[in-house]
Amino acid sequence: MKYLLNRLLVNVPTLFAILVSVFVLINLAPGDPVDAFVPPTATLSDVQKEALRHELGLDRPLPVRFAMWVQQVAQGDLGLRYKDGSKVLDEIARRVPPTLMLACAGLLGGSLLGIALGIVSARRANSALDHALSLLSYLAISSPAFLVGIVCLYLFALQAGWFPAGGYSTPGRGDWRDIAAHLVLPAGALSIQFVAILTRYTRAGMLEALDQDFIRTATARGVPAHAVVLRHAFPNALIPLVTVIGASFGSLLGGAVFVETVFSWPGMGTLFLDGIESRDYPLIMGIALFMALAILAVNLLTDIVYSWIDPRITLR
Amino acid sequence: MPVKLRLLAGLLSVCAAVPFAATAQTFVGAFDVGPGGNPQKFNPLVAPAGFGFYNKYFSTLTLYDVGLQKISGDLAESWAYAADGKTLTVKLRSGVKWHDGKPLGARDVKFTLDLVRHPDSASVFAGRLEAVAEVKVVDELTLAIGLKSPDVTLPDAFTSIMMLPEHLLAKMAPKDLRNADWWKSPVGSGPFRWIKYLPDQYVELEANKDFHRGRPKLDKLVNRYFKDVSSAAIALQAGEIQHTYLTLDQVKENQSHAVFDVVSGPSNVLNYIGFNNGDPRFQDIRVRRALLLAIDRAAIVKSIYGGNARLGNCVLTLPKYVPGYLERYETNVAKARALLEEAGWSKLSKGEPVELLTYYSDQLSKDVLAAIQAMLAGVGVAVKPRFVDTPTYSQIVDAGKFSLVFAGQGNGPDPSVLNTVLDSNYAPPKGLNRMRISIPELDKLIGAGQQEVDEGKRAEVYKQMCKLTNTQLPLLPLWTANRFGGFARNVQGALWTPAPGGGRYQDYPERWSLR
Repeated sequence: MKYLLNRLLVNVPTLFAILVSVFVLINLAPGDPVDAFVPPTATLSDVQKEALRHELGLDRPLPVRFAMWVQQVAQGDLGLRYKDGSKVLDEIARRVPPTLMLACAGLLGGSLLGIALGIVSARRANSALDHALSLLSYLAISSPAFLVGIVCLYLFALQAGWFPAGGYSTPGRGDWRDIAAHLVLPAGALSIQFVAILTRYTRAGMLEALDQDFIRTATARGVPAHAVVLRHAFPNALIPLVTVIGASFGSLLGGAVFVETVFSWPGMGTLFLDGIESRDYPLIMGIALFMALAILAVNLLTDIVYSWIDPRITLR
Repeated sequence: MPVKLRLLAGLLSVCAAVPFAATAQTFVGAFDVGPGGNPQKFNPLVAPAGFGFYNKYFSTLTLYDVGLQKISGDLAESWAYAADGKTLTVKLRSGVKWHDGKPLGARDVKFTLDLVRHPDSASVFAGRLEAVAEVKVVDELTLAIGLKSPDVTLPDAFTSIMMLPEHLLAKMAPKDLRNADWWKSPVGSGPFRWIKYLPDQYVELEANKDFHRGRPKLDKLVNRYFKDVSSAAIALQAGEIQHTYLTLDQVKENQSHAVFDVVSGPSNVLNYIGFNNGDPRFQDIRVRRALLLAIDRAAIVKSIYGGNARLGNCVLTLPKYVPGYLERYETNVAKARALLEEAGWSKLSKGEPVELLTYYSDQLSKDVLAAIQAMLAGVGVAVKPRFVDTPTYSQIVDAGKFSLVFAGQGNGPDPSVLNTVLDSNYAPPKGLNRMRISIPELDKLIGAGQQEVDEGKRAEVYKQMCKLTNTQLPLLPLWTANRFGGFARNVQGALWTPAPGGGRYQDYPERWSLR
């Protein structure tokens, strides 16, 4: 409990620093919400533009605007979107389930596949299969999520016709089977890099564990090979994997921006992109706050999982 | 069959069993993909684009035909100017109803036009109604619009303004209406009624049984949202949607294995290179002529656009306003070099490259700018393309901190859309004359075109404007590119053209159907 409290207190200044940085950076970006609101070929008089800027509070000094935003957030209000006046909190809340669904499906599916391939690769170290898996892993690590997404769409939606070509649900439907069918490709595209990284880490950890004396002892005692791998070697390779999985959550959320765009998935990624395109400061700040909190929470959870899987680690 | 294969086959069959395509009479289109779209922005008063979808559930007083040549009435049955040109009388069709069953009348039109003119509505069409002094309701179906000075462009302006129900919105302050939730479940008078909006997914409309031209053949019309043009094209190829905007590359790809029909037409957007007319380097006409002579526009149109663009030689592109006696500016590198030398370009430029700013970010535009950069380098003019997003572009050019731009300008259907772009009285922050063009003779022609009632004489005014800009080159006209739309092969009766802003023409959606 004391550990949790300490970590929470440490995270407050980190969170504050993140939010100040994001606020300053988005305000330094050229073009403001009014410039984004009026396209290059449309006319809005200078009087109308100034009235809009005043109404949105853009004519106030930057520190004042940040202080007002913090005050608002402290009261549980993330403000209104500049673009259409909708509540930022509602907009985020609506997009969290699809993004979490996507990230969790990618994380879960990717973890299972990455660990399985890593174990196979370590068991058959230096075989043709191991070399093939290594080559595929390097290819996958070097492939950006948006490119993998387009290739997946082309192969599995267009050519094979196995899955829908993007979207969250079919208009007029939206039952779980429909949503699950729409989820497969984006979750797969999102997790490709993650699978590759995890395969490499699992392989390395397993090779190190399989070389230990206690493994030789277990084998000499006649413990079956699969039990040696799963009960003795794998738990010892798990600590670095938990670190990788925890650290990858942030990357998956970041990757979701591109994957959601390619697959027209209605999540936080597309909302974030929309916020940047329209210079929607309250929305950008709201999403930054949510993302930072989510990543800090996952880091905390990772620490707790360490002590759970390895009793030698204590949280202080 | 082995167990593993059976499991895989079972999984795939579950996926395949999901009906990805919509039902027979549901038309799913990506109406807001591409430059004519305005995705998920539902207040049409502040929308300079997206008309193709607004017109499915709202109505306007007037609309163009699909060839963008002639204006006809949509809600307006007829309209006429008084002899002095200072009153416009509009008669509405009878029997038109809002989707909630209430009759649509002159009070609704007055309400809408007054709302557009109200500064708190932040409407982008307020400038188009600047000449309006007063809107009077004469009777249930007749309006008299009093003008401060004659303005023959009002019927064109009306093609952009969606009519709104006074009985539902009159009590809301214009400022509150701008971002109201009402726009996400609006009541219109178009051929389809609003049913549902799922953010970032789609809007679902259903047939308006009481539509004044008859019930649409389609039962439902869905506007599906895509963030990416390629994803929409794949959905069209996969048969999940029936319509989307297409890029030139996608059209070329479709040519080899055609799975949908392609509709193409001139975009009516003139691509140009604009100068900051306040920049001393570009004030000498010899420099401007040299730059145009150095760019091999025909080669770019042939090799990069694949012939899908038409060269422009003045600020106007609609054939009826382009006279036959224009200078063609065919490529002449030797003459361009000579003109630059005469103008002392090396001293003017001080050997420094000139930044060429653009808000276009697609691959085609990047290829075009690379070609222009190489061609200008061939005559000793170094340019450095800079790609920025739209808000950044707007801020830079409004502040006048630019030298050259590569941009596009909607060029019709009525030439009056260029008024605030070319008139010296409309330099930023007041208007859109971002190139700071100041030619008194041009200002006079703009005024004359605004007030000339006679169609033939008006065309002559614009031909003179075309000739003047062809000679003076306040900006370098390049070309009008074609744009493309794809329709699934089972679509019948659909009308579409790549108009600026994606619409303002009568596409008779009530006649669309699926085989």
